[in-house]
Amino acid sequence: MRAQWNEPKPSLTVLTSMAEPKKPKKNRLLVVGMPLVALLFVFSLIQLQFDYSRIAAGFMKLMGIVQVMFPPDFTAWRHVLLAAMESLQVAILGTVLGILIAFFLSFLAASNLTPHPFIAWIIQSAASLLRAIPTVVWALIFIVSVGLGSLPGVLAITVSAAGMLIKVFAQSLEEVDKGVLEAMQATGASWLAIVMQGILPTVKTAFIAWCVLRFEGDLGESTILGAVGAGGIGYELTHAMKSYNFAGALFVGLVIFIMVFSVELVANRYKMNLKVRKH
Amino acid sequence: MNAAQMQSARKMKRTQTILFLIVLLALVIWSSIGAEFSLPALFAGVGESFRFIFLDFLPPDFSSLPKLLEPAMQTIYMSVVAMVIGSIVAGLLSFLAAATTSPHPYLQVFVRAATSLFRNIPVVIWTILLVAAFGLGTIVGTMSLILISIGMLTRSFAEVLEEIDMGQVEAVRAAGGSYFQVLSQAVIPQFMPGFIGWSLYNFEINVRASTIVGMVGGGGLGFILQSNLKLFQYQKASMAVLLVLVIVLVVETITNRVRERII
Repeated sequence: MRAQWNEPKPSLTVLTSMAEPKKPKKNRLLVVGMPLVALLFVFSLIQLQFDYSRIAAGFMKLMGIVQVMFPPDFTAWRHVLLAAMESLQVAILGTVLGILIAFFLSFLAASNLTPHPFIAWIIQSAASLLRAIPTVVWALIFIVSVGLGSLPGVLAITVSAAGMLIKVFAQSLEEVDKGVLEAMQATGASWLAIVMQGILPTVKTAFIAWCVLRFEGDLGESTILGAVGAGGIGYELTHAMKSYNFAGALFVGLVIFIMVFSVELVANRYKMNLKVRKH
Repeated sequence: MNAAQMQSARKMKRTQTILFLIVLLALVIWSSIGAEFSLPALFAGVGESFRFIFLDFLPPDFSSLPKLLEPAMQTIYMSVVAMVIGSIVAGLLSFLAAATTSPHPYLQVFVRAATSLFRNIPVVIWTILLVAAFGLGTIVGTMSLILISIGMLTRSFAEVLEEIDMGQVEAVRAAGGSYFQVLSQAVIPQFMPGFIGWSLYNFEINVRASTIVGMVGGGGLGFILQSNLKLFQYQKASMAVLLVLVIVLVVETITNRVRERII
């Protein structure tokens, strides 16, 4: 994202005299947009009808809760760590399944590789449908249809991971140099050979980066799926909070924070490695 | 590089790939055992889900639409308020958190750590905690959306600030500009496109997140959705899902349009 909106268009610079530099043009959309957003903000605040007197009382209560939370209660650590492991396992399974589905479908969804544009269109729209429904909503639907446990969590993550990965995989595939494809076709290589030798090596880095990014997001999702009844560490948290065991809840919260944060760290380092290798 | 070296390099790469795949496979198997997951269970589950979705869930009950409009609007209002407050607060914090503009390194580390807490603790946890203190309702939903907005935006804004062209900054400084003059003349003009782009993206995230926030008591569509499911009113629930879908897609389209015109 570079600052380009205040630079004159290239075609204009040819027409205007070069004697004095053009003044940065204010973006019209920005001038109209900012007050519009401010107006929308005020309107939303009015519509939400907050009871501001509750905020002060709530803060006092929040202070009370935070006081009770310390020190965190480690006594249930075995139970909590098992639940954390389950969340991790759900995230791994869901992401891997999502990657597998997206990998195969993305070849049919990429406009330069698809057997027919209509197939590509269908897969792309289906993917955007899967993507637009939040993972928790999927989890709720799957809980009703397959019952409680880890399976609805795995299915929910698979579905939303596939929805996103189909789109980004297809985008990477569409960026493959046309020359590579044509050169290989000219040698008489089969479709499979073109994919294995020509396409996969070019998109491998991008695919892996997307998978890592997706896993980072999925782990976060899977830790909270328990809050709606899909098992895992999220359930422990809601359970502790509902039974006013705030010290126990803090411990669960710490475990979740460490899980999500450590994956973010690893993913960041991995993304950096990818960048270094690219240059 | 001669042929033998190249071959050994290729061989090493191949062993690396194979090793990576083995580790991945082991992880998957470990997860399957731990989560009591198996392929037959998966296929049975997919079948049941299809049956549920097409027989019980669809078609959506359009007669419940009028009742859903208010919670749907609440979802949007909450996201707007959280985006505006979040981006203003994060905009200020990011100047302290970016290496290029931070007045002091300690302050930078402190702001980064605090906002990473907001970001890495999932929004549901914030909501649950706030519900315990403030009670149910949109006020809690808005507050937790604000928290995650600040967490996400401070990081993104700081990254934008760290990528700006320092030549302009130095030019203003060399001309004798004060700290605030440097900010307003050299930094903010470069910062604006990123600021707007990330804020719009944050709005999308908020709209999505508000569903789950609603499920744990933050108001909006999520709450209605969950109570409908609990009461086995599946076709009303599917209407709510449809509404979520429409809102998300419309917001995505609008923000994409705006982003294309600004950046």
